[in-house]
Amino acid sequence: MRPALHTVLKLAPVLLPCLLLFGGGLALAVAQSLGLWLPFPHAGAMGDAYVALWKGHMADSFLLSLRVGLVSAALSVVLGTMLAVGLWRMPAGLQQLGVVYKIPLILPHIAVAFIVLVFFAKSGLLSSLAYHAGLIDRPAAFPSLVFGGSGVGMIMAYVYKETPFVLLMAYASLKRLDGRLLDTAHMLGAGMWMQWRCVLLPHLAPALHTSFIILFLYAFGAFEIPFLLGESKPGMLSIEAYNLYFQRDLSFRPQAMAVLVCMFVFSLGFIVLYMRAVQRFASRRPGAAARERKL
Amino acid sequence: MRRPYSHLLYPLFLAFFLVPLAVLVLYAMAPGWRWPDVLPASLSGRAFGFLASRSGIIARHMGASLVYSLATTGLTLLLCLAPAHHLARHTFRGKAVLEGVLLAPALVPSMTFSMGIHYAFIRLGLADTMPGVVLALSVFSYPYMLRALITGFQSFGPEYEQCARHLGAGWWMRLTQVELPLLVPAMVAGGSVVFLVAFSEYFLVFLIGGGVVPSYTGYLFPFLGDADRSVASALTLLFLLVPVSLFLLVELLVTRAYRRRGMY
Repeated sequence: MRPALHTVLKLAPVLLPCLLLFGGGLALAVAQSLGLWLPFPHAGAMGDAYVALWKGHMADSFLLSLRVGLVSAALSVVLGTMLAVGLWRMPAGLQQLGVVYKIPLILPHIAVAFIVLVFFAKSGLLSSLAYHAGLIDRPAAFPSLVFGGSGVGMIMAYVYKETPFVLLMAYASLKRLDGRLLDTAHMLGAGMWMQWRCVLLPHLAPALHTSFIILFLYAFGAFEIPFLLGESKPGMLSIEAYNLYFQRDLSFRPQAMAVLVCMFVFSLGFIVLYMRAVQRFASRRPGAAARERKL
Repeated sequence: MRRPYSHLLYPLFLAFFLVPLAVLVLYAMAPGWRWPDVLPASLSGRAFGFLASRSGIIARHMGASLVYSLATTGLTLLLCLAPAHHLARHTFRGKAVLEGVLLAPALVPSMTFSMGIHYAFIRLGLADTMPGVVLALSVFSYPYMLRALITGFQSFGPEYEQCARHLGAGWWMRLTQVELPLLVPAMVAGGSVVFLVAFSEYFLVFLIGGGVVPSYTGYLFPFLGDADRSVASALTLLFLLVPVSLFLLVELLVTRAYRRRGMY
């Protein structure tokens, strides 16, 4: 059999569903955003939906989604890396007990959002503690962390849910690092900062970059946590799309699809640009060839 | 270098990961717990009584979630076996790009393709059905399985397969007697992630299932906004129980099977 044909045949079980369902879904979303293949006749020009988005308050939603995604992914990566190194350095027995970190991985996003409500809502546990500490006298006096319009509640939920993910990725990578490298660096006079910069971070970089991309894109586009913890104005992009699709009448369908298409295009662009930036940054530093291979 | 104070970090681990769970347990046991009590004033089994009185409907939702999650895990495993083998064993032009494209469905927002495909599913009669839910869940969760299986195939190299081939084993025998047993750890790893993703998904099941296909997350959701947090807490704890016991069961079965074959 010719190699190319062999490749196509062997890959067909995932290529077909990927092309038909994923590609087909995307194609339908693009078509509907342009006013084609709608369940009703579309009045207006092809690009109307995109023009309407441009004129509306979508920019605020985009900035909110961007902020929540970037802040939560960055915090999770920092926190997860520090905890992973801490876990890696623990005695073997404690490392085994460290599996408790997997609990938030198992919890669904909606349950994590609920936990944030339990702790940080105006009538939550922290508010009760603040009352007993004499800081506030009624629930309403507690700062609006969750529905305050700043996205802090969503960021906390994502950080709690995603930190164990980074921990998992970084810890798996650390398992392949010889701990004696750090001892050697220490004996040669490298301080804490130097050990992180020259030994740990270069080794962890590929895992951390992958984690950051996955977490940022998830928080940027996901629906469930904003649905429970989000504000309405401006709402996260996913909520705006949901509202346009389900809450308004059918004539808003192209706009809903246009929001989703924009989210998709932005995500693709982000992956490409991020990978390119990482490569350029890595190739400028000494010892780049070795790191390139790991990437 | 094991630092002498490294074990001091462990309490932080417990605080960060276990305290929220402990609070949920307390809430489940104390339906009347309100602001500004830092600890509940009194305990009662009311939330558990409520769960017991709804045990039939809860079991129905839980069962449906289990069925579509397990079906998704099985379907993704079936679809990914041959492609993972090929991607792990062969190089060809455009392979890196193709691998990137095949992983994309797990990275980009799942809402875009799912809301697009929703319309096609309605036309095809797949919307509001269990197979439709399984298909949609598989599309955005198979990359985890594919990734795990590729790593799995790479971990043991082609020599076992060649050896079996030289000894005259056909492809079916090679697959079932040589490759699959070696691949079990990778299948468990990939399967765990796919199962978790499917089991905890709310939006896709709600969209494609249209409320007709019952799901545990769908049942849990309305309770999360209640002023009385005890029922939601108890249901969340019940949710944790399913994957945890499933993982323990798989671990037990795999270890036993390996031991019987003398692979450990």
